[in-house]
Amino acid sequence: MAPHRTTSPPSLPALPTPTPPSLPAVDGFVDVSVRLTGFDSFDLHATGMAALYLETALDQVGPEAFERFLGELDAAGGDPDRLEGETSRDIARAIAHLWYLGVWPQLARSVHSALGREKANAPFTASPEAYTEGLVWRTFHGHPAGAKAPGFGTWSEPPPGAPPVPRAAAPERPVEKPETKREGELEEEREGNTA
Amino acid sequence: MTTARVPAAAPSPSDLATELAVVVEPPFHVPRNPEELRLFLQAALTLEHLTIPPYLTAMYTLRPGTNRPAFYAVRAVVLEEMLHMTLVANLLNAVGGTPLVAHSRFVTGYPARLPYSRDRIPIALRHFGTEALRTFLHIERPEYVAEPPGHPSVADDEGWTSIGQFYATIRTGLVRLTEELGEKALFTGDPGRQIGPEHFYNSGGEVFRVSDLSSALTAFRVVTEQGEGVSRTIYNTDDLLFGEAREPAHYFRFDELLQERRYGPHDTPASGPTGPALDVDRAAVYPIDPEAKAAHYPPGGAVRQAADRFNEVYARLLCVLEDAFTKDPAALRAAVPTMLELRDLAERLYRNPHPDPEKRARGLYASATYEITDELLDRVRGLLAAPALGPGEAYGL
Amino acid sequence: MNAYPRPGGQPAGGHRAAPPHHTRRFDVIVVGAGLSGTLVAKRLGDQGWRVLVLEAGTGTLDTWPGHLDAMNTYYAAAAKVPNSPYRPNAAAPSPDVLDLAGLPEGGFRAHGYFVQNGALPYGSDYLRANGGTVMHWLGLTPRMHPEDFAVRRKFGYGRDWPLGYADLEGHYRAAERELGVAGDAQEQSEAIGLPFPEGYVYPMHRIPRSYLDDVVAAKLDGVPVRESADSPGTTLRVVTTPHARNSVPDARYDGGRGYRPAGAAGLPNYGERCVGNASCVPICPVQAKYNPLKTQATWDSRVTLVTRAVVSRVLADGTGRAMGVEYQAYDDPAAPVHTTHTAEADIVVLAAHAIENAKLLLVSRLAEHSGQVGRNLMDHPVLLTWGLMKHPVGPFRGPASTSGVESFRTGPARRRRAPFRIEIANWGWSWPAASPGSDVARLLGIPGDSGQPRGRGVFGKELRRRLGDGIGRQFSLQFELEQEAEGRNRVTVDPRHRDRLGNPRPVITYDLSDRLKRGMAAAKAVSDRVFGLLEAEDRTVYGPGPFSPGHFRFEGQDFTFNGAGHGAGTHIMGDSRDTSVVDHWQRCWDHPNLYAVGCGSMPSVGTSNPSLTMAALALRSSEQIHRDLTELHRPVTVRTGGGGGTDAASGHVPGPAPSPHSRPHQEVRP
Repeated sequence: MAPHRTTSPPSLPALPTPTPPSLPAVDGFVDVSVRLTGFDSFDLHATGMAALYLETALDQVGPEAFERFLGELDAAGGDPDRLEGETSRDIARAIAHLWYLGVWPQLARSVHSALGREKANAPFTASPEAYTEGLVWRTFHGHPAGAKAPGFGTWSEPPPGAPPVPRAAAPERPVEKPETKREGELEEEREGNTA
Repeated sequence: MTTARVPAAAPSPSDLATELAVVVEPPFHVPRNPEELRLFLQAALTLEHLTIPPYLTAMYTLRPGTNRPAFYAVRAVVLEEMLHMTLVANLLNAVGGTPLVAHSRFVTGYPARLPYSRDRIPIALRHFGTEALRTFLHIERPEYVAEPPGHPSVADDEGWTSIGQFYATIRTGLVRLTEELGEKALFTGDPGRQIGPEHFYNSGGEVFRVSDLSSALTAFRVVTEQGEGVSRTIYNTDDLLFGEAREPAHYFRFDELLQERRYGPHDTPASGPTGPALDVDRAAVYPIDPEAKAAHYPPGGAVRQAADRFNEVYARLLCVLEDAFTKDPAALRAAVPTMLELRDLAERLYRNPHPDPEKRARGLYASATYEITDELLDRVRGLLAAPALGPGEAYGL
Repeated sequence: MNAYPRPGGQPAGGHRAAPPHHTRRFDVIVVGAGLSGTLVAKRLGDQGWRVLVLEAGTGTLDTWPGHLDAMNTYYAAAAKVPNSPYRPNAAAPSPDVLDLAGLPEGGFRAHGYFVQNGALPYGSDYLRANGGTVMHWLGLTPRMHPEDFAVRRKFGYGRDWPLGYADLEGHYRAAERELGVAGDAQEQSEAIGLPFPEGYVYPMHRIPRSYLDDVVAAKLDGVPVRESADSPGTTLRVVTTPHARNSVPDARYDGGRGYRPAGAAGLPNYGERCVGNASCVPICPVQAKYNPLKTQATWDSRVTLVTRAVVSRVLADGTGRAMGVEYQAYDDPAAPVHTTHTAEADIVVLAAHAIENAKLLLVSRLAEHSGQVGRNLMDHPVLLTWGLMKHPVGPFRGPASTSGVESFRTGPARRRRAPFRIEIANWGWSWPAASPGSDVARLLGIPGDSGQPRGRGVFGKELRRRLGDGIGRQFSLQFELEQEAEGRNRVTVDPRHRDRLGNPRPVITYDLSDRLKRGMAAAKAVSDRVFGLLEAEDRTVYGPGPFSPGHFRFEGQDFTFNGAGHGAGTHIMGDSRDTSVVDHWQRCWDHPNLYAVGCGSMPSVGTSNPSLTMAALALRSSEQIHRDLTELHRPVTVRTGGGGGTDAASGHVPGPAPSPHSRPHQEVRP
């Protein structure tokens, strides 16, 4: 396009192209994640991370292991506590960890070998925003350290579920005339130095 | 007549089906007495507020971690609009008025028709993109030559033609009334109602108290020049007024985003931006329905609850602002935390697919609707009055 | 320049150019663009002197996009340690707290930039980048107590300062203006006994106390505690801490002229208040916390900053006068390539951090007479205790600490054990236990070692509930102990250990004295009593292990300490050239035109976070440097009101701008 004097820039495409995992796949992943995390689907979508996390999980364990995990979870009535296969259980741990912290964790060494993964078994943050969207902060009505700041002075208020406590008002007076004792100390200081 | 020096995009064929809400405009003449002046200033307060929700919507529909230049550009403008709103409240208080904020008449509802304009320009809550930017250019469009009503060049029956003309009219009225009545008789407001720099921060420039004609005229300069620029340049007056960095006025900042190119140091309104390219990713947004209402979301659903919650906190913000403008300036300390709470609530909505399957299939997301009713305001006022909100250290004030 | 300072554009202030390797003559060379160097350059530039600032690290953080890059690096970092936002730089390496690992049976191993051969690890880092270590400081600015300056005379340990609180008081106020301090002077005066001039208020009202502070104060205020059965009682009191952090400006400041908070460097209209991001260490996202970039934005154009310029030697002539410096310029921090240059000036100021200053003096074989260069390395060893309150306390909110208990900083107990300051930590167990990440991993059954067997793990609503309940009640206390000057704790250089540009890496020998360990035992006893008063569940455990390099046993008890990042004492100041490296102006006894400024000059560190005192000292030294320069130029000097001089070479007449807060020609010391 011309660099300037453009009065009619290209119009917005009707809709942005959807992110790689299809909408239904993301929805299914969110449904499973509700079971793993204890957060409802609104909260999970609200992170904006669902598609990235699905991609991350698929990439890390491979589509077959991921399908097996979904199948076993289904067979367990959707209850991750009843997952018995160690591989699927470790995938459940990893996905929950990802949602809570934005970090894909190390898999158990045995699971790493069993999956035949051709990548380092090292933890990593899925993206900078994944850290700031971690669910862990919401569990105690907090905000991620370094993001979503709540505003000046908000840290003075009792958090939800905490009792109010008496608060001594700030004296906020200018410094008064020093007491004689303090002046004495200052004098001593001066004398000591020059001695 | 109006002569826009900068070509503004013609109003696009509207995609909006809803009737546009209309902002009540004061009569087309220069205010003749203090009572009319207060009416005009209240209208200005309403106008300044009208623009804020569309800007916030554009900002918070950006996908996280993307479009940072756009985010910071819109953010800078929003903060200046908040400064304008506060300065207009100071002006209104200075001449003995009582700002009205927490009232359904204050919040028009969206989409609204841009007031003080002959064109039918819709102001809707849109995701960041071409349509939103075009709307913003209409709002901030520089008007260099429109004279106030009564000027030989302006016909009596012409009606308002621009926001700049509206402000010039108030300014003319203020100056005339000061001459007629004297400063003391006009500036009768309680100085204790003025918002000072200790109450307000992170704004485009510094808020200051208005107590006489000179401070009032400075306030007018800030309000009009930050938006539309200093006569025939792309810059505002922050560097002159506040000793701050020189910034292009709002109109040109939005034009930079639309044209994806910055204005350079020697560019003028006529040259357009010829500076470095600006990285704008119009796909990295959450598209929303510009006519969304909370009632469109199924009752009882999580999206509906979140949308209602947003409107409740928005109502709380208006109550906080009204308290600060009419009772105690220190009440403004709650405004920023409330704004930040709104930011979090809004972002959470925009990231959720629209609950309506048809809209969802079109790729639309849920959104914050900025709907205010008097019932809602009454309920929120009740909650604020309850002591349950905690003792709250006066933060040193 | 600076016609167009936009977000993403050029940083404001001073002159930044490609290294002016062709213009090599300056009035002053400042080595290091951290807090001290930035302040010295500011004062001297304002007084008309041509200042060259050489910074070893990069200037990436100067711009808003650079700052955002640091934010993203921090977000993505696995361990959110103080240096996590700042990119590693092999040309000017920085130490990192992750360089240390504890061994299973006790002891530690060090890798990274430092070579460590002491009984215990020196656990503090610093940052070599424009802005320096203060980029990741917490921002607390307590003054030192008058008795801290004379610990040898009063309590029989460590070393005394050649000046006292009264000599520094005016410079404390000047530093409080420069850094923008929020605090309550009356409270500091009443609770700690700090003398202030009558009517003094800080530039800004105090930072609001956290809810946790109020919870603790409700149980502690006025209660006497004994450190041991035979010791006298000490009365507890929770006291708000002064911060260099933007709060509500105090209209009464400066005789009613008030104060305008300085916002972010690089983005207009931002950071004018702390908004509670709760990440002061390692990075304040809005820059409401002071950093030197804010001062650099107001540098006079006579100040030239050159980044990526590693000073390798100070050059001196046969008479002991410093002539200038040799420095290595590099372009790409990742490439093992540099060019070597020299720059000359009338006065050289080392402001590169205590350990880097000592390293430069050692390498240059300067200031050797006293034999003290590199010795007396100090820090504030930190003992952490942590537990759970009975109800939520809102952890991970607000600045890392907003209040402390100051009752153990002073008094006769110092004869026997190290004094300490207690910080009430607002960020849960983030420091002692890497919460909340470790809490999530533990509940999911994920151990630190992938080879260990995994727990079954908790999922769903139960996981959410248990995390919320546990983390919401976390709190911890940080006991910062005074370390006294000891000759055996030292920095040396060894040609066998070099970094990539061939500069020696610091070799560190470090230990804690028994009086310091007695202080830790007393601190733990006080902690036990405090936890009892708070009816809190104590979860403190100390033992050897990979995350406890600072583990040791003392009198049958386990302890683990951490570094506070407060490195000090390597070019100590004193009364005599035989026993100290610099005089009370921080000027090397052996070299009349070579200054070494910073915490390295401190003979004792008390229990106050040292940056404010360091800033006060830098401002004080700037006055003497100005006088020295004026003296050097006296033959052609035209005296005007507040001093200043002309430069014979350039013929320009510098416009002196005496600061209203300095006392330029007042000699306090004989």
